[in-house]
Amino acid sequence: MKPTVNVLYLPGTNCHAETIRAFARAGARPQLVFLADIISGAARLDDADILCIPGGFSFGDHLGAGAVAALMLRTRLAEQFQACTDRPMIGICNGFQIILRAGRFGPGASLKVNDSGTFENRPIQRHVVSHDNTSLWLDGLAGATLTFPCAHGEGRFVYEPQTVTKSANWKTALRYPTNENPDGSDADIGGITSADGLAFGLMNHPERSTEPQTQIAFFENGVKAVSNGRSRIVGSLLGQALRSQPGRRTARVGPARRSRLSLDPDAPMPSDAGPMHRSSSVTR
Amino acid sequence: MIHRFSVKSTRSSEPDIERRRRAFGLPDLQFWFDYYIEFDDALSANDAALVCGTLGDQVGTRVAMDEPFPLGTITVLHRRGVVDNENTSILSMCELLGLRAVAGKVARCYQSSSPRLREVVKSMTFNDTIEEIHGNPPRFDTLVPAGAYLPAETYNLRALDKDSLAQLGRAGGRNLSLQQMLRIRYVQESLDLPSVTDVLLEALDARWSDHCAHTTWKSLGRLLDRLVAASRDTANPNIVSMFHDNAGVWNFYDGYALAIKAETHNGPSAISAYFGQLTKLGGVLRDILGTGLGADPIGCFEYTATGPTDAEPPIAGRPGPRQIAHDTIQAIKEYGNTFGVPMMWSRMAFHPGYRAKPFALGGSIGILPLSAAQRGRPEPGDLVVLIGGLTGNEGMHGASASSAGSEMDVAAVQIGAPLEQVKFRKALIELRDENCLRALTDVGGAGLNSAVGEIGEPSGIWINTALVPLKTSALPMWRILLSESQERMLLAIPPQAYRSAQRILDRHLVRSTVIGRFTNTGCYCVFHNSHLDEQTVIALAAGEVPTDRGELGFDVPYKLCDLPVDARQVGAPPEVRRGRTQWPDWAPDQLASLLARVAADPDVASQHYADAQYDTTVQGNTVHGPRYGTLTSVPSSYWACTPVDGSPAAAVFSTAFNPWLFGLHPVRALRQLFLSLLFSLVLAGVEPNDICMCDNFYTPHLTEHWAEWLVAMVEELASLVRRFGVPVISGKDSSAGSTRTDEGVVSVPPAVFLSGLGKIPNYKNLLGEAWTDEGSLLVRIGPPTPSPAGTVAARLLGIGDGTVDEVPLDQAEQFLAALRDSRSLFRTGTRLGPGGVAAQLVTGGLATGMGVQLDATATGFEALFAEHRLGALVEIDPADLVTLPADLHPVVVGRLTTDGRITANGGDLLTPEVRRAWTSAFSELLA
Repeated sequence: MKPTVNVLYLPGTNCHAETIRAFARAGARPQLVFLADIISGAARLDDADILCIPGGFSFGDHLGAGAVAALMLRTRLAEQFQACTDRPMIGICNGFQIILRAGRFGPGASLKVNDSGTFENRPIQRHVVSHDNTSLWLDGLAGATLTFPCAHGEGRFVYEPQTVTKSANWKTALRYPTNENPDGSDADIGGITSADGLAFGLMNHPERSTEPQTQIAFFENGVKAVSNGRSRIVGSLLGQALRSQPGRRTARVGPARRSRLSLDPDAPMPSDAGPMHRSSSVTR
Repeated sequence: MIHRFSVKSTRSSEPDIERRRRAFGLPDLQFWFDYYIEFDDALSANDAALVCGTLGDQVGTRVAMDEPFPLGTITVLHRRGVVDNENTSILSMCELLGLRAVAGKVARCYQSSSPRLREVVKSMTFNDTIEEIHGNPPRFDTLVPAGAYLPAETYNLRALDKDSLAQLGRAGGRNLSLQQMLRIRYVQESLDLPSVTDVLLEALDARWSDHCAHTTWKSLGRLLDRLVAASRDTANPNIVSMFHDNAGVWNFYDGYALAIKAETHNGPSAISAYFGQLTKLGGVLRDILGTGLGADPIGCFEYTATGPTDAEPPIAGRPGPRQIAHDTIQAIKEYGNTFGVPMMWSRMAFHPGYRAKPFALGGSIGILPLSAAQRGRPEPGDLVVLIGGLTGNEGMHGASASSAGSEMDVAAVQIGAPLEQVKFRKALIELRDENCLRALTDVGGAGLNSAVGEIGEPSGIWINTALVPLKTSALPMWRILLSESQERMLLAIPPQAYRSAQRILDRHLVRSTVIGRFTNTGCYCVFHNSHLDEQTVIALAAGEVPTDRGELGFDVPYKLCDLPVDARQVGAPPEVRRGRTQWPDWAPDQLASLLARVAADPDVASQHYADAQYDTTVQGNTVHGPRYGTLTSVPSSYWACTPVDGSPAAAVFSTAFNPWLFGLHPVRALRQLFLSLLFSLVLAGVEPNDICMCDNFYTPHLTEHWAEWLVAMVEELASLVRRFGVPVISGKDSSAGSTRTDEGVVSVPPAVFLSGLGKIPNYKNLLGEAWTDEGSLLVRIGPPTPSPAGTVAARLLGIGDGTVDEVPLDQAEQFLAALRDSRSLFRTGTRLGPGGVAAQLVTGGLATGMGVQLDATATGFEALFAEHRLGALVEIDPADLVTLPADLHPVVVGRLTTDGRITANGGDLLTPEVRRAWTSAFSELLA
């Protein structure tokens, strides 16, 4: 049975197709999971072996890149997102921005506007995999130089020095070679993993690499870890077992909220605005 | 209760602020965002801290609530009557924090000690149509737009004399001529109406504009029909659809077809380049989305020509060339990158003909199943469904004003919001694949009027404008109908499929509203009834029209909506008499200095400053271009992608344009560039029969013989289409390229931009461009066009105005055949263009680090700088030289080395000065 991957689809996501292709080539069974379905309860973030948040401009980068989606993961979807911390998780580009802001790598680190002040498109960008990071995502790649495209405007990784301690929440996974840093990231960091190695965040796009093996290297590792039982998948299996019981509903944090304008573009505005709405329902 | 949250950096410098300092010329500039949020209840200290913590969660950021403005602050935000693009996200944030908010706005704040701050902000980053500017924090009673609906105005045209009719036609920003007003009076008489409304006047003003009705081309003998006939005569089996839908459609492989479209936003970009260019790209992407039953964009391209950077714009108060260039880059990267479509090709040019009104061209190609490639046909009873963004007060008279010339003002500039379009992009594909769509079209120029009017013809349609979701609280009926608010599509959905469609749209969080029904009345009907809700519209039986239509805008048979266009006879253009200029006979030691000047010319130099900001790899399907090179990234001759998962079949794309050449002889220029484009795609590996083109004419209307040249160009294009069997399947005409300015009339050269689309079964058979083997020969091939006329080098030497070479078509045909048969002999090949062989030597060397030992015959000015536009520089095995057929016109240029030099007469032409010129000139030009 192939490991399953939930590829989160948010309004503004635009790299889902190639990400799904890469996971499929790596031997997984990826599926798109729509935000609207998660909010309505028709789908869940945490009912797959791997969570992937792909690239794009979720919510148009309003309030800051990844800000709205990250807040969603910290509040309304907190339970499901928390459940995903026990399994492989990968955030690519906007996905990295989201899971970083959502706290997956702890406080004290941010992704900000590139040093150049603008978007950097570099189809050929080299990345050196850390020698001493034992994350499942980097298995067999220690010290390797992988080439895949850079395409982002807010990828400068900055961190408060006091966060890099023995109890640090993250570890360096990828570095840019000297003089090849596209965005001014501190210490030439091009990607990080969580301290437990389960979560991986990177700004650039391996799924777009023109080298077939590079394209799937990380994804293959994630898939392999699930298949080999190396990832902490107990929660996921338990979750699957629980969800197979009829009538089960996800426990909610706080009172259920009615969907309104902020997530439903057709929910009512105040009356002065005229007939700008209709009631919206998702038919299941 | 309204609060303002200021999100500021705690660091002395951030890159985006530094960039603004340089752009504004204000070294002490500070910049931040203010978020205004209107809450239902008073905000507790804890709640305020929650909001501050959320907005300020980034390292090096602080957030303050209701902090006084520092001295010297200017703030810009959306007008009170306009819903902010970020309103929904602000409300989302509050809801997620457990706070009740009703509206939000975001403001840009600038602070400097300079007294010029306000003036700089207004000139560089302010749109008066939708924004307001303040020196103190603005006071709001509410952030929720308020206002009342204004009823339509009515006019009894039968009671007006000609002078009054003419005056009415031009009132309120309209561009209706007396002839057109008389026609509208005829409509009133035919229908025996007591009066007509401003809604009808505005609707027909747009419908009869040159932009929508192509009146100029019709008046000159139905020029479009000539192109269509020529393309049809090619009987090319790859033609699926041409000039009939929102884009041309070309058969691909594996059960798929490709769509191609390009369009211009010249008028809006002259006033506000940021919004004009943003909506240009958004609009052409929607054209692809609205082709057949929905195509998905797989690539975009961009070309902008403005005036020389050392000249002030000829209309006071208009943005200058540098501003236009910077705004263009900002807009194109924002829309294209956000949408997720790779940039295939981009270029900027600076030509005096475009100093009053730029050439702002954007295009896209897409893919769709062959089975869904034909334009849909709504059926009576189908629902008229509007999806996407809100409708606002912007873009008024955009279509008619752009057709009329320079009388466009800022109110006619459209405003973009890419997120809305990204949201419905995938939804449309699902609607198509789930058979929920009968037809669709994009809402672009002339707004709903154009979309509704076209999709409803000829069977009939009615809409209730009261159902259209608005940005403002209220708009008059005509503004709702004519608004060019972006990111909207109009769908024809069968009633039985509506529930499924709604489910798909809801899943994608796409706003959708049923605003009317298709009929079989043959009439186009618009009314405003705030008591007729969506559910009632849906529940009506097919063919049933509401008994109470509230306020009627108009209900007119389609056959009365057309305006006959008087044709005029046009003769041949005058013969162009120019002396033949000669290449200079300079000393060899002057070659390098000229090469540095050529390398620095914007037509040759690297435009990395712009290119590097456009995403070229998104979708993961690009296999070649828009640049190549292992050491330095240089522009490629073509672009290719493999859009079908698992298939090696490639779509191949290239372009051809040269305003300098068109300015000298439009017809000969067109021939050269048509052939240049055709030959470049064949060189790449595409079979001639698998190539189609898209044409974008941009011509003046106030120069002597403008009509003669336009007709002659169209006839030349039609002739080339037939001769070479390469159909033109899509295109647009922009015929108001003359602008009245403070220094007199400024006109663009009569010209046409050609884009070429081809296909190849396996991308691995595409010809590479990067030099490969030491010892290979570099050979120039192609029918020669040695004249200095229109070349970069000759222009720099002041001898660029000569006779343009007329290419013999027999010779061109023979070359094409020989090229096709000889491709297997080429190791690599690059197309020749601006800067000639010399430019290709520079870029080839920079890309690979290889060098060239030039042949003694290849070191003269003509050999290096003549732009043999039909030709290419190919790399061959020296042993194959003797086998190259004479019809290729082969000329040995030199031999490849590994020393990284271009050696001629003992010296190296690839000097540090040449390298620096090519690498840095463009960014220095825009500084």
